[in-house]
Amino acid sequence: MSPLDRLPGGDAERAMLVGVVCILLAALFALTPLVASVPGGFYVVFEVGILFVVYGILVLGLDLQYGHTGLVNFGHVVFFAVGAYTVAMLSAQEPFAGIGLGYPWPLALVAGVLVATLLGAVVGATSLRLRDDFLAIATLATAEIFHTLFVNFRGVFGGNVGIIGVPQPVSNLAADSDTTLVATLLLFGGLTAVTFAAVTRLTEAPYGRVLRAIRADELVTRSVGKSTFTYKMQAFVYGAALAGFAGGLFALYNGAVAPGYFTIQVTVTIWIGMLLGGASNHRAVLAGLAIIMGLRLFSRFALGVAPVSADAFASIRLIVVGLILVAVIRYRPAGIWGDARELGVDS
Amino acid sequence: MGLAQNLVFGLVTGSYIAIAAIGFTLIYGIVNMINFAYGEYLTVGAFVGVLVAGALPLPLPVAALVAMAAGGLASLVLARAFFTPINHTGPVPMLLTSIGLGLALRNGIRLAGGRSARYFDTDTTTFRFEGLPDLPVGPVDLLGDLFVTTEQLVVVGSAVAVFLALHALLTRTDVGIAMRAMGDDEDLARVRGIDTQTIRDSVWVLAGVLAALAGVLIGMQTNVSAGTGFSYILQILAAAILGGAGSPYGAIAGSYIIGLVLALSTAFLPTGMTGISTAIAFLILVVVLLVKPSGIAGQEVREA
Repeated sequence: MSPLDRLPGGDAERAMLVGVVCILLAALFALTPLVASVPGGFYVVFEVGILFVVYGILVLGLDLQYGHTGLVNFGHVVFFAVGAYTVAMLSAQEPFAGIGLGYPWPLALVAGVLVATLLGAVVGATSLRLRDDFLAIATLATAEIFHTLFVNFRGVFGGNVGIIGVPQPVSNLAADSDTTLVATLLLFGGLTAVTFAAVTRLTEAPYGRVLRAIRADELVTRSVGKSTFTYKMQAFVYGAALAGFAGGLFALYNGAVAPGYFTIQVTVTIWIGMLLGGASNHRAVLAGLAIIMGLRLFSRFALGVAPVSADAFASIRLIVVGLILVAVIRYRPAGIWGDARELGVDS
Repeated sequence: MGLAQNLVFGLVTGSYIAIAAIGFTLIYGIVNMINFAYGEYLTVGAFVGVLVAGALPLPLPVAALVAMAAGGLASLVLARAFFTPINHTGPVPMLLTSIGLGLALRNGIRLAGGRSARYFDTDTTTFRFEGLPDLPVGPVDLLGDLFVTTEQLVVVGSAVAVFLALHALLTRTDVGIAMRAMGDDEDLARVRGIDTQTIRDSVWVLAGVLAALAGVLIGMQTNVSAGTGFSYILQILAAAILGGAGSPYGAIAGSYIIGLVLALSTAFLPTGMTGISTAIAFLILVVVLLVKPSGIAGQEVREA
């Protein structure tokens, strides 16, 4: 009997194992004098990698809402932003503008998740009865309202500059900036793996079957005695809470929050990743997100050799991103790894 | 600035939002989709207008007509290329496709037109018509301290002309009556012998024409850049939903309410807070969706 046979079998167990190992490795880098060094050109890989695992938590939450339950949340960025801003406002020390209360960051992180959860409950309770496309519009408008508030209430949110001086726990523990990058990627990657394990457990349980039944046919699900609104609320709130958690992590890594980090572009990126990979399949949505984030990485490298300005290059990248979204819906509506029959789409 | 002056601004804003919102709501009512790329149609119209008026140069009314033709054509081509093929898949894939298309269009315009803002050169050529006396350009003093510019009069006048033409189209012409029939019940309309694809195409053209006109009128009031249309899309949506999605008359009413709310909120908000007036428009949108999703004059949008 080889030691490999003793590894856990299911997706959830394996992800949990990977997550715990990553977090322990991160702790090793952060807490001991051990240092890592990142080769010069690879900083951007780590930066995009960290953003990928943070967005990974977002996409897992969104997939719970849309991929499993069929809730068209097009304002996902608002829960990410609210988590991040809550953490920043509670934990930042002496920001130029906006509120910074200087409380310990673990408290702020918990509060960030709670505030995002609460907002998710409010938005869900009021909007989840709307028809799909109007739910999309209501959530999108909610995100835009908050974006406007962040920009305009300078005394509270710091306006366009945002709030700086957010504590960076990993950076403070690690020996140098290279080690910080490695430890952050390992820690956040580990947390994303643990999130993966948790949502996989949830959706493999009978609970997940009810969610998918709601997506497939809400009326039938209701007629067999399930309170579909309760299930939809739960899925929506779980997704919001995960987004708030991701936002809090982002603030604690970045050391600052500003409206520019929380635009509709984030929502679009997450959605494309999910649809490209194949909604309702946790591994597929992460893979789809990896492709889109890979494009971002590739374009950062290509910018160095391309004969166009950075502005033009940014425009070209967004044209490509937009057309990928259009092409996926047209030619692979179930995504690359999705199950067309389960999603009930015809390709 | 007095209250009356703000009412003028509200009326002007409501006018171009209304012209755009009619096209938007017709697409919703007849093609049954929320077209999030619609804001970009405004931008296309404004850019074509600026180009024709500035580079050629042609008088502004001619440039506006060229822009409207270009807008109608662009709208039809985009619909045939992107929306018609997935018409059967339902509202959500259509909405998502329009979001992707909007992103691509916006950045395509940015790539082609650059980041700097464009202006109509309204001081020199614009309001001259052969055989008519020149219209005065610039502020017209109405009641002592109330100023109205010729451009503003042109915007409101264009809106009124559009409303009259729309009413005539929907009540007097076969195409318009077919549009209303399709908005009510598409299957029934098809059974009664209406060529639904032709009507859909006509709606796309009409919507593109109206969007381009709105874009040109916005360009006359202020400058235009690649992001101009996108900055109006949620206000157009708010107006259409407030009026009742699918109802062109409702969209007109909704637009003037949104326009007046935006202008009056600017008057009452403290300086430095005026940016949140757009948030107020979105708030109206959300509240209407929650409280009375059928709007002033529209169909039900809640789940049965």
